[in-house]
Amino acid sequence: MTAKCRLLAISLSAAALALASAPAHADGNVTCNSGAKENWQPINKLKKKVWLERWSLLKTQIEGDCYEVYARTESGQAIEAFFHPVTLEKLVVFRRGKEIYRAKGFEG
Amino acid sequence: MGSWKKYLLWLVLALPAAFMLHSLVWQDTLPMDLLHPSGELSVRLMVLAMLPGPLSEFFGENRLLRFWLSMRRYFGVAAFAYALLHLAVYVLDMRSLPAILDEFTLPGIWTGWLALVLLLPAACTSFDAAMRRLKRNWKRVQRIIYLAFLAGLVHWLLLDWEWRPAVIHAAPLVLAWTLRFVARIRTDVGRPLS
Repeated sequence: MTAKCRLLAISLSAAALALASAPAHADGNVTCNSGAKENWQPINKLKKKVWLERWSLLKTQIEGDCYEVYARTESGQAIEAFFHPVTLEKLVVFRRGKEIYRAKGFEG
Repeated sequence: MGSWKKYLLWLVLALPAAFMLHSLVWQDTLPMDLLHPSGELSVRLMVLAMLPGPLSEFFGENRLLRFWLSMRRYFGVAAFAYALLHLAVYVLDMRSLPAILDEFTLPGIWTGWLALVLLLPAACTSFDAAMRRLKRNWKRVQRIIYLAFLAGLVHWLLLDWEWRPAVIHAAPLVLAWTLRFVARIRTDVGRPLS
């Protein structure tokens, strides 16, 4: 094997390792099946939910048909959480693309 | 490239950074809001730096490609500068060293550090004196940018879990490398047997 081939093999292996060691969950396409926007609760109500989690809120926004929260946990971890806009239930939480929480039965 | 063109290019390349810093200081933009644009621009500049080489091998050196080749180094240096800006806004966003160290082992994070480290050799040897000193090895050092690009794409993919940006940014390079491969085969076929 030439040096170039070796380098290519090493880099492809590193890429494969990184991809394989992370659970394959897409935070880019979470769906909440939340229905018509008229029935959604105001996004400001998430502030209380965030406070109850003891997170410090950075930003809230609508992502698809979900409410999305960017926050820091008590220990300083940067997280991205999705809430149901009607029930305000915490559905799924990601830390730098890695899923760290999923509500029981939620498959969106 | 003439010196005024060089300075104009530097100015154009610096503009997005100026807008980002302006929005960070004077507007409500959070550091986390600049992570995506700074990282994406770094990857795009890497693509611009890597494209003219294989394209000129396939199409031959025309005026446009010669000009593009002459700008290649500036795109590469700018890609590194935007990667540093990306790191700076990340540090601002994380606020503390323990928090940064705590998430270092996450795949979406260490791949980003790896991309930055892989950009370092090319960036550190991007001036004329290094080029003269390293001679033939200079090109080899510059080629490490390919690995940095790959690591950067994996970093992006692992954070967003969105395959389209990776494909869109990799596609022109894959096409250019395919064309170069074709050009090399053509050259080999046309070469008389010794």
